[in-house]
Amino acid sequence: MKKKININRPEISSEEIAKRKNFDSVLKHSATIGGKPLFKKPWFLSGVIAVTIAVVATVVLLDQNKKGERSSVSENQVKLSNSDSLALLAFYKEQESKPCINPPLKEVNVPYAVFKIAAEKGAKLEIGSGSKLTISKNAFVDENGKILKGEIELRYREFHDAADFFVSGIPMTYDSAGVKYQFESAGMIEILAYQNGKAVNMAPEKPINVEMASNYKGKEYNLYKLDTMANNWSCLGKDKVVIEALKPIDPIKVFDKKEIEKTPEYLTIENKKLEIKKEKEVEMAALPKPIDEPKKPEQVKKGKYTFSLEVDSKEFPELFVYKGLLFEVGDENTNFNKSMYDIVWDEAKIKEGNKNGENYNLTIKKGAKKYELIVYPVYEGKNYETALAVFQEKFNKYKTTLDKRLAEEARVEEAFQAKMTKYETEQKELIRKREEQIANYYNSMDSNEKVLRMFSVNSFGVYNSDCARTYPKGVLCTANIKNEQKNNLRCYDVYLVDKQRNGLFTYSRNPLTNFSFDPTSKNMLWTVEDGVLYWLKPEQFGSISGSDGAKDLIMNRVDQKFTNVEDLKAYFNF
Amino acid sequence: MIETSKYHATQTDLASEQAIVEAAKMDPSKFAGLYDKYYEQIFRYIYQRADDKEQAFDATQQVFIKAMENLYKYEFRGVPFSSWLYRIASSEVNNLYRAQKLHRTVNIDSVGVYGMMEEMEETKVDKYHDKIVDIIGNELPEDELQMIEMRFFEKRSFKEIGEILEITENNAKVKTYRILEKLKKIIK
Repeated sequence: MKKKININRPEISSEEIAKRKNFDSVLKHSATIGGKPLFKKPWFLSGVIAVTIAVVATVVLLDQNKKGERSSVSENQVKLSNSDSLALLAFYKEQESKPCINPPLKEVNVPYAVFKIAAEKGAKLEIGSGSKLTISKNAFVDENGKILKGEIELRYREFHDAADFFVSGIPMTYDSAGVKYQFESAGMIEILAYQNGKAVNMAPEKPINVEMASNYKGKEYNLYKLDTMANNWSCLGKDKVVIEALKPIDPIKVFDKKEIEKTPEYLTIENKKLEIKKEKEVEMAALPKPIDEPKKPEQVKKGKYTFSLEVDSKEFPELFVYKGLLFEVGDENTNFNKSMYDIVWDEAKIKEGNKNGENYNLTIKKGAKKYELIVYPVYEGKNYETALAVFQEKFNKYKTTLDKRLAEEARVEEAFQAKMTKYETEQKELIRKREEQIANYYNSMDSNEKVLRMFSVNSFGVYNSDCARTYPKGVLCTANIKNEQKNNLRCYDVYLVDKQRNGLFTYSRNPLTNFSFDPTSKNMLWTVEDGVLYWLKPEQFGSISGSDGAKDLIMNRVDQKFTNVEDLKAYFNF
Repeated sequence: MIETSKYHATQTDLASEQAIVEAAKMDPSKFAGLYDKYYEQIFRYIYQRADDKEQAFDATQQVFIKAMENLYKYEFRGVPFSSWLYRIASSEVNNLYRAQKLHRTVNIDSVGVYGMMEEMEETKVDKYHDKIVDIIGNELPEDELQMIEMRFFEKRSFKEIGEILEITENNAKVKTYRILEKLKKIIK
């Protein structure tokens, strides 16, 4: 909205202002305005708890254990004992004292994308959804305002539909001077930063620029920041909407798999893969080892010279497997001549040669004469035949143990591969779902359009591009939220999902007085009791009328255990 | 030097005001004392941001109606009750802007502009007056405009600005001087 500028407008006198005072009108209006439950008005309470109990006991409340007492009351009403009423009030009080952000399902949430940033360099980050973050250099400070250097861990996530809002536990209710509104969102983000596990702040003069990909291009949205201390949103003004023409690209091609690889779900599976690798190594190491493979004896070659030497069996045990050992002079000894054979050498020593286990270095000395020869262990005649027979026997034993070992290794490897395949399939499925999500995101946009909502944030937290709206209208009633056994659910927040509106309309305290919905829309109700999700199906809304009296809404228990928000979306056909 | 508004803050004042608030929680007619005390302040706050006098009077009544309705939520935080009323007023005018029932207006008085230039240590007052008016009216983001309005056109102390905006007095001062620095760079 364009501002009007007045310069030096004449001042209004205090007398003129005083003439317009009308406290009686304020008093009269405040007495007729609704919005606050009667029992919350202090002058109504009069400080007497007994009155509170009496009031509570006359309204429609939970009935977990009192089914048999219904005969004395109307069909849809339940009388509570004082102790039940007090217990219910205590439950409400407990719920109302919970943190501002309170995810209803402990196992499911929107995952963070985690980025490592060099604080002194800043960064330009591109998110899989098409959003972008621009971070200036030296944009992070500690609690004393000191600029931080080194690696910063930035955690970022986006919320685009009712399922995201629901699992996040981020309130979508806006209290504007006591009037409650429900947010319809064009997209919400949470941005946090840490160094060495400690939360850091944003430098005041270095805001982060956010270009949030959105499914909504309307300009009626305002930007709000969640004040978790006040449990309310602060309006920051308008965001800027930029609509870009999309090039005909395949969104999957621009999808960075590394983004999904940083999600907790993916990393959990990655850790499991590492665990099974370690398990395999341990199992392999514990398998019985085959006996050492025997060395096949070699027969002396015709016309070759051999030496017979005394060798220390402790030093060279491998040479004492067979009897009648000789050392044949190798062809590579160009310095050898047969006259060496005629000399009685004073000293002869062998050590391991360059072909381990196959050849040896023989050093022979006499006076100043010294020669080094490469020799090979060989056997001749009967000795060779005997050695070969011994070898065959040993080799057969070796082969038996080797085959057993190989079979065991194959079994361990097969079990490992089966687990690995399972985990890799799970990871591929995560990637596939993300790709599907991206494809759906692109498909859901106006053709050839990409909407970016641009704004700057100067502190970390939750930001929401929203319109403050009233509850959907059409059917209005009091609703008792019950389970399939027709007992009232002990739940606090009940969420209406209206598929025509991108919000999560929150009603508090069961029974829901003034529950309203648009019968022409596709609706769902969600609530959680003791960690169990219940829902009212779209087709059940058809039987709810707005006539007098409380309505029993029989919720369906959801037994499926969700581990990620995509599964939950699939279940509810998002 | 800028002239600042009268703003009570003694412990005795706060305590006696709090006693009225507590009494009004039990008996709405007791709210009359607070209404009388703050009516003009709240009207002037709204009218500073509005063009139409009648709409500003209507909005002022709405602020007090909402204040009475929500009085049970009010918690004393060591600051005058008026800071709570100002927040309701701020919310009310924002709602009216959004609903297009009130036109966002920036009411600038030249004395305030000269005060700003004095703080900016700018001597060429006449040369830059119109440029500053244009920047304030058309270029400053809403949060910065609020700071300038409160400090220079409503002549509030940093302490009062801090209490209304729920920031520290020092933070209000730092933010204001940053905006002045920014203005100084823009006009040259």
